[in-house]
Order: sequence, then C-alpha cells, then structure tokens
Amino acid sequence: MSAGIGVDLENLWIRFGDFVAVRDANVHINGGDFFSFLGPSGCGKTTILRAVSGFLEPSEGNVLIGGKNMKGIGPNKRPTALIFQNLALFPLMKVWENITFSMEIKGASAAERRKRADELLDMIALPGQGDKLPSELSGGQRQRVAIARALCAKPDVLLLDEPLSALDLKLRQHMRTELREIQQRVGITFIYITHDQGEALTMSDNIAVMRAGVIDQIADGKTIYNDPATAFAASFVGENNVFRGKAKRVMGDEALIATNRSGELVARISTANRGKLAEGDDAMMFIRPEAFSVAPEGASGDHFVTARVTHEEFEGNVFNIFTEGDGGKEIKVSIPNHGQSFKDHTGQNITLEYDTRNAVVVPAGELAAE
Amino acid sequence: MPSFLKEFFNRNGTGMGLTILGLVLFWTIGLIILPQLSMLDFSFRPNLPPPEIGGPKDVYTLENYKYLIYGPEGGSQDYNTVDLRVFFRTLVAAVCVTIFNLILCYPIAYYLGQSKGSHIRIFAIMLIIPYWINEILRAFALRIIFGETGVLNTLFTGLGIWDTPFDFIRNDIALYAGLGYAYILLMIFPIYNVIESLDRNQIEAARDLGAPWWRIHWRVVIPYAKPGISSGCTMVFMLSAGALAAPQILGGPSSLWFTQLIYQQFNDNNDWPQGAAYAVVLLVTCILFVLAMMRLFKVNMGDIGK
Amino acid sequence: MNSSFLRISIWVYLAIFFAYLLGPLVIMSITAFNSSSFPRISPWECLTFQWFTELFHDQRILNGIKNSLIIGMGTVVLSVAMGLAGALMLTQIWPKLRATYYTIIIAPILIPGVVLGISTLVFWDRINRMLGLGADSVLSNGVFLTVIGQSTFIASYCMLVLVARLQRYDTALTEAALDLGATHAQAFRKILLPFMRPAIASAAVLAFLASFENYNTTTFTFGEYPTLTIELAQKVRYGITPAISALAFIIVALTVFFALLNEAKLRRQELVAAARRNATVQDLGGKIRLPGFFAGNMAAVLLVVFAVATITVVGTATVYSPDQCIANVKEQKRLEAERRIQELRKQREEQRKQREAQEAEQGGATQSAPKPSNNSGFGGVFAPGALGGGTDAEPEAEEPPKGNGGFGNVFDPNSLSGDQ
Ligand SMILES: Nc1ncnc2c1ncn2[C@@H]1O[C@H](COP(=O)(O)OP(=O)(O)O)[C@@H](O)[C@H]1O
Ligand SMILES: [Mg+2]
Repeated sequence: MSAGIGVDLENLWIRFGDFVAVRDANVHINGGDFFSFLGPSGCGKTTILRAVSGFLEPSEGNVLIGGKNMKGIGPNKRPTALIFQNLALFPLMKVWENITFSMEIKGASAAERRKRADELLDMIALPGQGDKLPSELSGGQRQRVAIARALCAKPDVLLLDEPLSALDLKLRQHMRTELREIQQRVGITFIYITHDQGEALTMSDNIAVMRAGVIDQIADGKTIYNDPATAFAASFVGENNVFRGKAKRVMGDEALIATNRSGELVARISTANRGKLAEGDDAMMFIRPEAFSVAPEGASGDHFVTARVTHEEFEGNVFNIFTEGDGGKEIKVSIPNHGQSFKDHTGQNITLEYDTRNAVVVPAGELAAE
Repeated sequence: MPSFLKEFFNRNGTGMGLTILGLVLFWTIGLIILPQLSMLDFSFRPNLPPPEIGGPKDVYTLENYKYLIYGPEGGSQDYNTVDLRVFFRTLVAAVCVTIFNLILCYPIAYYLGQSKGSHIRIFAIMLIIPYWINEILRAFALRIIFGETGVLNTLFTGLGIWDTPFDFIRNDIALYAGLGYAYILLMIFPIYNVIESLDRNQIEAARDLGAPWWRIHWRVVIPYAKPGISSGCTMVFMLSAGALAAPQILGGPSSLWFTQLIYQQFNDNNDWPQGAAYAVVLLVTCILFVLAMMRLFKVNMGDIGK
Repeated sequence: MNSSFLRISIWVYLAIFFAYLLGPLVIMSITAFNSSSFPRISPWECLTFQWFTELFHDQRILNGIKNSLIIGMGTVVLSVAMGLAGALMLTQIWPKLRATYYTIIIAPILIPGVVLGISTLVFWDRINRMLGLGADSVLSNGVFLTVIGQSTFIASYCMLVLVARLQRYDTALTEAALDLGATHAQAFRKILLPFMRPAIASAAVLAFLASFENYNTTTFTFGEYPTLTIELAQKVRYGITPAISALAFIIVALTVFFALLNEAKLRRQELVAAARRNATVQDLGGKIRLPGFFAGNMAAVLLVVFAVATITVVGTATVYSPDQCIANVKEQKRLEAERRIQELRKQREEQRKQREAQEAEQGGATQSAPKPSNNSGFGGVFAPGALGGGTDAEPEAEEPPKGNGGFGNVFDPNSLSGDQ
C-alpha cells in the first residue's frame, strides 16, 4: 500500500552550534507506511521530526514530502501534523475546540466544527466528551484527543513523538494496537518516534535505528532483530549476548571468531557486513538468550560455549541461566519452560550450544548503554 | 543575518517578530538608553536660550558639575556647602530609611511567609491597599497626623505627656515616617517571596538542634532570604533617595531633599543643564552605592527584581 | 522563651504595624466628614458632607482626573505592549545577551522617577528641535511626554508580571497551533494571548494605578496637562483642606471595594474549581453543585458589609443637613473670637497706657512699633511655617479677616499654628 505521501531525508545534517545532532541522514519512507525512528533518549529523534514538520531548518540537506522539497516552507504550510511528546493540548479550550482547531483557523463555522468533532470523538471512542477541558480527561483519553486533533487537520503525514511514553504499561500496550488500527484505517504515513524497541517492533512496517545522531540501520523489524547491521543495533534491539574478539577466518557468509573468553566460535556475518568484514578485524558476535540450549556435558566445538553459572532465575514461561561472560557482563540464557525438570547449576560449569545461523557477527563497535 | 535573529524570526514569524523587536528596541533604546545618554550629554552644556542651542556657544563644559562642588563663581564660600550638605543628607537619610524599613518589615515578611491560613490573604490585601492610594495622599495623611494640631499632638498634649505641640515636621520625623511608609510594600514583598519558598523543615531541623530563635534567623533564614532582602533594600534606597513628593509635602521648610534641588533648577531657575547635572550625580552616586553594597554583601544583580 | 508570650508579642507587633500602615488612611478618611476647615478629627465639630460637594465643584480636580484617565489609558496600552514584547524577548534572547538585556529592562524600576522625567523631557526636546518642530508639536505635548516617561518604568513592572506567567507557558502550544495551520499571528492571538490574559489584566491594572499615582516623573513632563496627582500635590503643598480628604476617602473606598471584590472572586473561583474537581471524580453527569457565593468566603462577606456601609453613608449624605450644627459651631466660634478680641483689645489698651506712661516718663522716641503685616490673601493660614503657637496672633487680632468659606476664621487654632 503505497497510496500515501512518502517522505525522504537527503543528506540531512542538523547542527546546534558546534554540536551535531543529526549526521548525514538518508531515509526513504514509503507513503502509507508506519515508520519508526528507534533510538535511546538524546540521539536526535525529536530533532529529525522537527525538521520534517518544519520547526527546524536543516543545516544541510533536504526534507522532501511527496517528492516536494520543503525548504523555506513553514510548519503551518506543510502537510504534516505533529503529536507532541507532551501532547500540547490547548489547556483553555474544550476538547471539541481542541480537536477542530485546524478548522477554526480556516474559518469554519461552529456547527461544522461541532459535527466534525463528534465524528472524530466517535472514532477515538470518546463520544459525548467534547465539552470537557483537557485537564478533566485521563492520560489515555488526552492521548486520543491529541491524535484526533492532528487527524482533523487531514495531514498526509502524521508525526508522533514518543506519544505513549507518559502512559502506564497496560495503557501503553493497549494504545499500540489502537494506533496501528487507526493508521490502517486512515491510510496515511505515520512517522513514529520511540526509545522503546517493543513499540517499534510491534507497530512498524519499517524502523530506523539511531545512535547519537547517526542512523545505523533501516529495515523491517524482523530484519533488525535477526540481522542487525551494527553492534549498536544488535545490542539495542532486544536482549543480546555479546562476544568480543577478532575475525580469524572468513568463510563466505560465516566467520570464525577468536573470542576473548570463549574460544573460537563460528557465526553468520550479518547481511549488511558481508564482504566488508576482513580477517584480523575486531569483531563482535551476538547470540540471543533464546538461541542457546544446554548441551550435554563434555560437548565441545565451534558452536559450544562453556562458562561458570553465577545464578539462575525462574520467570514462569522461561528459565534464565546467567553465566560469567565477556568484559564483566553476564551471558544470559533463556530456556523455554515445557514443564521439564531443571537442575540447579549455580557454581558449576555449563556447556551451551547454539545454531550458527542464529549467531551474527558485526564489526566491533559501540554498544547500547544498558 | 546573525543566527540568533534568524532563529528569532523563524520562531515568531516575520510580522510578529518585527512587532516584538520593534517594541523592545523602542523601549530599550528609545525610552531607556538614549534619554539617559541625552541627559548626560545635556548636563555638560551651558544653559543657553533656545535660539543659541547648537550655536557656537554650545560647547562641552564642566561648569554644571563644578557648581555643585564650588558653588556660583565668585561666590563667597569655597564650596557649595548648601547643596553638598543636602546631597549627603539625602543619601544618609535614604540609608536610614532603608534600614528602618528592613527592621520593620522583616518580621512581618517572615510571619506572612511562614504562616498558613486565610487570614494571611486578608493581611496581604491590607498591605497592598495603602500602596494603591496615591503617594501624595499618603503623604497628606501623615501630615494630618504629624501636623502641629494633628492627631499625635492633640493626643499627647491632651494626655498631658508634653505641654507644647512637638514640631514633627521641622524635626524631619514626619519626613522619615512618610518615606518609610511609602515603600513598606517594596520591602515586604521581595522578602516575603523568598521566605515563602523556604522549607519549614529547615527551620524545624535547626530548632531540633537546639538553636535559639535569633540564631535560626541569623544562620538559616537571613542567608536564604538574602536575595529578597537585597532586592527590597535596593528598591527602597533608590526610591527614597529619589523621592520628591514626600519631601515636598512633609519636609520642613529648611530641610531640602536633593531631588528638590533638581526640581528647583528645572522649574524655578529654568536651568535645565544644571538640573540634568544634578540628576546625573544623583543617579550615578545611587548606582555606585548600590553596586558597592551588593559587592559588600555578595549579591548578584540578577536577584534584583525577582 | 515562652511561646504564648511570643504569640502575644507577634500580635502586638502586627497591630502596631498595621496601625502604622492603615491608621493614617483611616484618620484621613474620617477628616473628610468633619466640618472643621482644617482636616482633623479632634475637636470634632459637625458631621458634614460639604467637602464632597466642594470637591465635585473643583474644576482643577475634575480636569486633573480627566487628564489622569487619558494618560493612564495611554500608559496602560504602551507599557503592557512593551512589557509583553520585553518578556517574550527575555524568554528567547540569545543566552549571552540575556544578563545585559535583563539589566537594561529592569533598570527603569531603580532609576529615580525624577531622573526619568528629566531625561524624557531633555531627550524629546532635542528630538523635537532636531526635527525642526515647534513648541506645540506632538513631541512636546504633555500627554505624549507623560505617557512616554511613565511607560519607561511601568513597562518594567508589567514585564515582571508577564514574564512570571510566560515562564509557565509551554512553547509547544504555539508550535502545535502552527503545526495545525495557524499563522504566527493567529497562534499568538488564539493560544498565547488567552493564556496570558490574567497576567495581562494584572499588568494593566498595575500600570494604570502606577500611572495614576505617579508624581516624580509626571511633575517634569505634564506640560499643559496636569494630572490629578499633580493637582493634588499643588493643593497639598500650598494649603490643605478636607476636600482632599474627601477625595482620599473616595479613592480609599474604591480601592477597598475592588480589592475585596477581586479577592471574593478569586476565592469563589477556587471553591468552584475544588467542587468541579471533586465532581468529575464522583459523577459523570456534570451536575456540579455550585457552592454559595459566601460559603467559606470571608472576603465576600466583608465585601457585602462594606457595600452596605457605603450605601448607608451615601444615603445619609443625601438627607442629612449639618447646617444647624455648623451654625452653632460658627456662633460659638464667633463668640469665642469676640471674647478674645475684647481681651486683646483690653490688653493692648493696657499696654499702650503703660507704654505711654513710660514714654511720657522718658519723653523719648515717639515712633510706634511697625506693625507686621500679612499680605497673603488668605490670611495667616499660608504664611510659611510661621506663627507657631498662639502668642503671635496679636497683630492680626486687631483686624480679623472675615471668615470666608473654607479658610475660615483666624482664631481657628490650626491657622494660628500655621501648619505648613
Ligand atoms: N535547540 C537545541 N539547542 C542545542 N542542542 C539541542 C537543541 N535541541 C536538541 N539539542 C540536542 O540535540 C540532541 C538530540 O536531541 P533530541 O532530538 O531531542 O533527542 P531525542 O532523541 O531524545 O528526541 C540532544 O543532545 C540535545 O541536547
Ligand atoms: Mg525526544
């Protein structure tokens, strides 16, 4: 579904004085996509969004909306609507006035506005609440009013700046599905910003992973999870165990890594780095907790890891084993609970096995902070 | 265009940006800076009739400042003792009024800032109401009280405490009371604002540690309230040194205030440059004095006006 | 220290403090109702409303009020506009410039009003000359100069009031409006301005009051348009009458009335807001039971008491006639005066006799002592600082001026004291 209006960022740089907030971003967003920028707080996500909505002039490069260069076009002239991190509902206006503010600007009559407000209130499941003040609504209701207000302006692109971050966990999970539904119903492009990888993975068609002003990878959620392009993407999205070392041998799609601690191990080179990783390079290997299984004692080879267990925990659906790992970090292993009996390994050595297709190698790089 | 201006116009739009910038420039440059500079410039010029202004006689001169120190040329005295005495008396009296106000207002500000309850609001209204009444009328009210047949004299002679009426006005008591009266609010509010934000627990903690009440004030409350105190003191000092109405109405016939000299130069002697020079001297001295005091008590300029 | 002792001393202190603060105003207000031609409360002569009548027939006062209103309006508009612009600038100015900028816009509060008046006068006079305009141009007009001079520092007060509220403004609101298609002007008008409205109202009231009562600056700039304060100052400096007390009473009453009204309104808003908060929790039907205007609202009660008192006073004023009482007092005074004149004549006679006797004895100089004359049209009342005590009254006692109107009788003790 590429009916909607797409957005392109071309060689986008944004500087605040000497500080580079966004460095050479190149992003193509398909029309009608639910596209997420995912990155830790302070990495420049809001900055990108402000450049798209027109509150910031890029220092270099262009923002294109529907193929049209937006240079010199103010935020009130762009076909975008932004949902602010703190929602920015107008506190002195009633809910219905808030929702139809964009019509008031264009001089629509009060009757028209009321009618449209009622439609939108029905859509966001708040019928009959139009005469309240925003301060009289709950957090989730306010959230929905902000969405309705933005949609009322009939934007081609809806920009959402961590809209769920202020909500509690339950509501957040509920709103995820609701947002996705709304997007599918209205069919316009959503650009969504979050530092929560769960939100990004569940809702998005495509995700851009950001680190300190740089976009590391743009792909759909599955690809980012299974085939990260950088050490940062691998460590930021989902839980991951890292093994540092050097590429000893590169064999096509696979590489043999001489790890600092766990001997020589084989893993798949992530797609983005094939042909780039050379023998002797510093490399990092990532294996997810659920990709391990406990091997019979004494097993060894290039896909076995032996380590001492520090502690274990029972989480219901999974059983977690933590062993001594690389650089002071623990290795986490999650064994699905099928009702089998577990033996307590604490203090003992344990041998773990993995499928080499589930271990990825990327060039050594910065890891996401815990 | 500097990046600051560019961002400013981006944020406010061209029309709104120009309006804001225009108003701010008109205010800061047209109303604040240029008039002061103009007055300064004027104070260095001789007093000429309008047709000669800008003519050959219109040259810079120090004579207006010399006049304050040495008096009229060929005068009988070496120094202009009359004006100089008025000048120093004004400054000293303004300092006294400030100290008096501080002592009077600190307890009230503390009490209002630390108590809760609806009577505080009524107190606040009672504080503000006098401030809304015309300055002249407030001075007038004090004159009714301090006059020779005023309330106080009637009361005291009636009670037989003294037998002839006491001349409050000639003794400047009326003047000082009037000046103190006029600026009470300006002393209370800054102190109140700061003390209100002082956490009660700090005082409780100090009390728990067995500190006597005066030490609590000296070590906890006053240091905390310093920005408010300096703000209030600065305002009261500047305003009482620059007061005109109260001295005119409550001052005795012989005790002039420096502003009255300025007023006379302008309105009675029609010597504007001389008046401007006196005004410059008053302004500069007051500013230097305040700055020196702020240095002495280690206060920042940014605290003033909060 | 004993805590009940402390509490008592606090209350005593408060009582003294508020007596100092409010006492003069109360006493001044009371003097407006005493028929004595000098404003005072003792001795109380007659309850009268004549000073109000006199006040309302005083053309200069009325004209002063008109000028004050015109200038007040101008100052409110200019200083609120500049104060708002100044506050907006303060929140966005380049950080390196902020401290300097703040110092500049706060300075007028600290600059003595006299200096502001002079600098305004001097500066615009120069501009006027540079433009080659005459003495009757707009730039040398008293209203223009006064508005400009007053706004210089009143704008600083407005700025402080406005910036306090502006700091609580979320600029994202303006951005949201822009994002939804509003122009900058629309966003300002529909979002920022409504948010700022309470602060703008306070700033406007403050500006008006400050303008209305300003003396120091205005005294240099008013030109042909003396404001009420200027007129009052002239009157107070050159002789005081209870008509001024009458004006003061009106101003005090209005101030108290509006202060209480405002407080009652605020209090009510608070109560309503509290009720609304509770209601949203309890019922969804929106059936909010408004609390009575008076419930828990002391200010409202005071307001009503005050209004009733005012109505009573005004009502009394329309029917009450103090003529008889005044006539009595006059008669008494006349008698008293005559008695004293007689006494003085007698004294004088005796003195003369004595002197003559002495002169005759000495056979010396024949000149009589020069009579000190008082050539002020109003008699002794305005003699500068003079005539303290009653003993100097002698020379005038020989020819008592006819008690004309308010300035009354020389024997009125106040005029003897020459309270100047
Ligand atoms: N107006 C600004 N001036 C200077 N630095 C800024 C400005 N706005 C953002 N930054 C900086 O840019 C970086 C990215 O900010 P932002 O885009 O808000 O991060 P986030 O990804 O959390 O939304 C941060 O380090 C922030 O400090
Ligand atoms: Mg952000």
